[in-house]
Amino acid sequence: MDVFEAIKGRRSVRKYKSKPVEREVTGKLLEAARWAPSGGNIQPWLFIVLEDHGILEMVRKISPGYFGQAPLAILACSDKKRAQRIGGTLGRDYLTIADCAMAVQNIQLAAFALGLGTCVVKSFSHSAMKEILDIPEGIEPELIVIVGYPDSIPAPPRRTPLNEILYLNKFGQKLELKEARA
Amino acid sequence: MTTNTYDGNEYLFELALFLATSARNCIEEPPLYGPFRLLDALSRLTDFPKHASGLVEDEFLNEVKVFVDEKKFLVTTDVEEFKKAADELVERFAKELKKRYLKSKKEE
Repeated sequence: MDVFEAIKGRRSVRKYKSKPVEREVTGKLLEAARWAPSGGNIQPWLFIVLEDHGILEMVRKISPGYFGQAPLAILACSDKKRAQRIGGTLGRDYLTIADCAMAVQNIQLAAFALGLGTCVVKSFSHSAMKEILDIPEGIEPELIVIVGYPDSIPAPPRRTPLNEILYLNKFGQKLELKEARA
Repeated sequence: MTTNTYDGNEYLFELALFLATSARNCIEEPPLYGPFRLLDALSRLTDFPKHASGLVEDEFLNEVKVFVDEKKFLVTTDVEEFKKAADELVERFAKELKKRYLKSKKEE
C-alpha cells in the first residue's frame, strides 16, 4: 500500500468486529513499532500485548476514552530509567513521549495497510493501569492502541487548511501551497 | 458501554468506575472533555434498566441515547455542532419534562 493512502485513509475506529487478530499480524504491527524513529536511539518503549478478554475489559473499564470492544489492544509504555540513563532529563521527560507516539503511529499505519482499524487512547487512569497490569516503578504507560477489524469506519474529520499552518523561512511569512491529492 | 450481559450491581460498579476515572482525568484533559464525559455517562446510564431488575426501559431515554451516541464525538471534530447538539439535548429534555408534567396533571 502507498504510504499516502495509509496516512490519509487511517481513521480512529470505535466499532470493531469480534474476529480475532492473528498473532502473526500482531507481530507485524510490533515490528513496525520497533522501527520507529527514536531520539538518540534510546528506544525507550516497551509494549504490552493485551489479548485476554478479561484483561481487555478491565483496561476498558478504567479508560474513559476507550470505545468499542476490539479483540486486541497494545499498550505502549516507556522505560523512564533507561531513558534517563541514556538521554538525561530530555530523554526521560520528552523523548519517551515523542518516541512512543512515533512507534504508535507506525502501528496505526501498518494496521491500516493490513486491513485493521485502530484507535489511540490517552484517556485512561494511569495509576489503575499500573495496578491491574502489574507495571513496575519506572515503567510508565503512555498510549493504548486498540486494534481490530473495523465494523464501521468514521468519515474523515475536518483538517485545518495547509495555508493556515505554513510559514516560509521565518515565522509569519506565509507560504501558499496547493494541497496535494495523494 | 459493553454489550455483555451484566447484572445490575456489576453494571453500576462499571458506571461508577467510569465516573471516577473520568473525574480524575478531566483535571488535565481538554475542558470540553468534561461535557463529553457527562454525555457519555448519560448514554451509559440509559442502559441501566437493561441490567437491573425492577427498572423499566424508558422510550425517551432510549431515543436520547441514540442521539447522544450519534453526536458525542463531534467534540473532536466540530465543536460548534457539539454545542448545538448539547443545546438540542437539553431542549428535548425540557419538552419531555413539560409533557410528563402535563400528563401527570391530567391524571390527577
